[in-house]
Amino acid sequence: MSYLNNPAVVMDNGTGLTKLGFAGNDSPSWIFPTAIATSQGTATGSNKNKAQATGGSNAGGSNPYFGNSTSATSFNNLSSQMLMSNNLAGKRGTEDLDFYIGNEALIASQGASYSLSYPIRHGQVENWDHMERFWENSIFKYLRTEPEDHFFLLTEPPLNPPENREQIAEIFFESFNCAGLYIAVQAVLALAASWTSSKVVDRSLTGTVIDSGDGVTHVIPVAEGYVIGSAIKNIPIAGRDITQFIQTLLRERGEADTSLRTAERIKQEYCYVCPDIVKEFNKFDRDPEKFAQYVVENQEKTQKKVVDVGYERFLAPEIFFNPEIASSDFLTPLPTIVDQTIQACPIDVRKGLYNNIVLSGGSTMFKDFGRRLQRDLKSIVNNRIAQNELLSGTKSTGVDVSVISHRKQRNAVWFGGSLLAQTAEFKSYCHTKKDYEEYGPEIVRNFSLFNMV
Amino acid sequence: MLQLKPYNLLIQKTVSEAVEAAQQGRPLALDRIISDFDYTTFHMYNTAEDQAGTVYLSVRTKAWQSVLQCGGLLEYLQEVYSGCTGVTLLQQPEQGYDLTLALQLTSSPTEDTVLQLSLLKTHIMASPFKLAFKEFDVLKNVPVDPETAQLQQGPASSLFAIQYRDDETIFIKPANDRITVIFDTVFEDETDKIFGKVFLQEFVDARKRNRSIQSAPQVLYSHERPLELGSSNHPNLQGQPSRGYITFVLFPRHFQTQEVQLSSVYQLVLFRNYFHYHIKCAKAYMHSRMRYRVNTFVKVLNRAKVDDDDNDNQPAAESSTGATSTGPTRRTATGRKLVY
Amino acid sequence: MSQSLRPYLNAVRFSLEAALTLSNFSSQEVERHNRPEIEVAHQSAELLLQPMHISRNENEQVLIESSVNSVRVSLMVKQADEIEQILVHKFTRFLEQRAEAFYILRREPIKGYSITFLITNKHTESMKTNKLVDFIIEFMEEVDKEISEMKLFLNARARFVAEAYLGEFVY
Repeated sequence: MSYLNNPAVVMDNGTGLTKLGFAGNDSPSWIFPTAIATSQGTATGSNKNKAQATGGSNAGGSNPYFGNSTSATSFNNLSSQMLMSNNLAGKRGTEDLDFYIGNEALIASQGASYSLSYPIRHGQVENWDHMERFWENSIFKYLRTEPEDHFFLLTEPPLNPPENREQIAEIFFESFNCAGLYIAVQAVLALAASWTSSKVVDRSLTGTVIDSGDGVTHVIPVAEGYVIGSAIKNIPIAGRDITQFIQTLLRERGEADTSLRTAERIKQEYCYVCPDIVKEFNKFDRDPEKFAQYVVENQEKTQKKVVDVGYERFLAPEIFFNPEIASSDFLTPLPTIVDQTIQACPIDVRKGLYNNIVLSGGSTMFKDFGRRLQRDLKSIVNNRIAQNELLSGTKSTGVDVSVISHRKQRNAVWFGGSLLAQTAEFKSYCHTKKDYEEYGPEIVRNFSLFNMV
Repeated sequence: MLQLKPYNLLIQKTVSEAVEAAQQGRPLALDRIISDFDYTTFHMYNTAEDQAGTVYLSVRTKAWQSVLQCGGLLEYLQEVYSGCTGVTLLQQPEQGYDLTLALQLTSSPTEDTVLQLSLLKTHIMASPFKLAFKEFDVLKNVPVDPETAQLQQGPASSLFAIQYRDDETIFIKPANDRITVIFDTVFEDETDKIFGKVFLQEFVDARKRNRSIQSAPQVLYSHERPLELGSSNHPNLQGQPSRGYITFVLFPRHFQTQEVQLSSVYQLVLFRNYFHYHIKCAKAYMHSRMRYRVNTFVKVLNRAKVDDDDNDNQPAAESSTGATSTGPTRRTATGRKLVY
Repeated sequence: MSQSLRPYLNAVRFSLEAALTLSNFSSQEVERHNRPEIEVAHQSAELLLQPMHISRNENEQVLIESSVNSVRVSLMVKQADEIEQILVHKFTRFLEQRAEAFYILRREPIKGYSITFLITNKHTESMKTNKLVDFIIEFMEEVDKEISEMKLFLNARARFVAEAYLGEFVY
């Protein structure tokens, strides 16, 4: 059949950002916020309104759902009045077609007639109605594909309940009739993405994934493709906290522009991880060249403000390693957390986990982040080994700690998905529509793992 | 989103980005696969030596073979893209693709050029329609002999077939007063088959019911093979009782001018996609209705629980007095309280 | 509400109230087991009661099968044409998929029926019997309403979509 030649679609729906694209590409085709702006029939609160809108149990005219409020903006080529002239077309709502996703949603929600919502919370889908429509628009508008002709690879967070997988299958097979579906755990895909690094010699699916996005940082151990759920640890420090930290520093100094946007740009362009803060402070004092300047242009590019960038260049990412400089309630450094995570895993996989620590997500992109983590973690591990040797009197064979950073780190999950989905075997790992019809939604509780050599 | 757009948003975005990056002196390395409806795959790439110079756009589409057989495809595309500065059709397409276009980034392409590139698939499909329009112009001037007119409808004309999916085809048949466009469709999914029937019936009735769209083409739907197809022995026309035929009858007013021709073609080419998109939207909407229904049922059922009454009284009383809580009351599996 | 619906629902209500007198009963076959006897009907006939069959017409029927510790209530939902057929099928499957939340819903209907509830003595102990009956009656009413509304929606949507498409051809 012809669809075998079509590229598979890879969709990574995160809490903040959604990455969409086709297997075989090296970067996602679309990256936009996982946001949806739905039209508000009336001025009532969005939640209440929604419940009524989807219910629509009474066909009476009083129900807001049947109100004649099809917004003209989304049907721009079409005179809505002409359509509404027919009594039934006016009576029955088409509000479920009137919505925007991604960046368009952010723009639309500035107007009064749309309300913005984020269907994914903490990595898991909260609002299936919105998510279904989000996918609908992703597929037809942004990717322009007929789902019947394509295989899909979706991602899920670790510890996602199997019921959620069934819901996904229900939507993709029943609403969209997609040809085939594979749901992969994000951490496993991040591991697969690290295979592009030259440091990786054997393509194993064992390793520790440090996934740091905007909201939260996860440390996830994976043994042979399976997540060790009991050992997962979260750190409440991530990209947003770093940006806010930079912002406070800028404010304290009284810089000309202290907006969050400026802080974010400074974070992305100037920050790096230093080996030792005290030495780095001295270096800055001796060598003023280290200080940088960031030029803020306003929208019309008429005015320019100059912001000095100082110690925050290395101080900001330092909050991963010395959280006390920014927060007062969370004080454990990242290397310690990684060590604790691995120590909580079964003893026979620990070596593999120390051996292959993989970074993923935008907040791990700082220069030398991996090197610093490796050094700190190594010293923790070596101390423990030394102690053990002292106490037991035997010689340890030693543990090799290695942190892997690679060029695809930012969209590692998506990229890992793209790598796997372009292989010839991918389609044999998917569940097809036929399988779904034969066995029902519970079929997606199990997917065979990729064992690639 | 109600209407699907005839152009590919992703191609438009990618080309614009490439153009912009090249103009700023930081050319992008491109090697992207982009997809479109009906088994269409694009490959956009450039070579490492010439990143700032040329971007190539290759296309592979299911419809290619059949459109090529209708004739005039390459000439038509040549004509379309001759108006776009910097775009050339390569003589030798990329391996595995049907056609490759080259875009000269140095020629500072206009927005319209980018748009035309993103319309590539639509243009390929439009070529047989253009042939039909031309043939119509010839046919309408042929005098009709009243005797033969009774036997056959007007003078003999050609039948253009676009096989755009594995088992679905568009047939275009010009006559001396009209052009008939026939989609033969087949539904794989049982639900789609029934939903599709409802939708198609409405397409047939819409024009009669709504006065404001009376000038739209007439739509017919049947399982019988339309007469226009004559004795054509296209492989898709054999057997299969589940096959349906949707006929659009275009009158001269739907292809009078160039612009009207274009917009009619854009609309017709997207018919199947539009139609299936809306079946899917309807199913998605029904899902959200059913989710709501499930919630209300569960609420009603929960009212039946005995626990509700007990809980309403007890914890409320506890918290109001501020007494130290003794932890949740232990219960058996059936919800009975354990008493020690 | 049409004339014949009221007596039909009343009949179902009274029959259900009568049937929902369940008691705890340990299995006679397997030691330390306690299972809904209606589901293992071929083993001990003495624990089963005569099934009740209430029928409004050939499309709308209720089958109540009772035993000492469990009752099975099967509904046949009205399906006038193939659209309603597919809608009922979709809807009941959607519900069965979420049977966990429904406590008394059986994951599979009995052959020949659209949807089946299985009520055991555990349920009648933790829930009020009359409210359970209320739920089933309400369910019967709502399902019919929901199916016809979905059908109306489908027609309305199809009409809207067709007109929107053809509207593009009006120059």
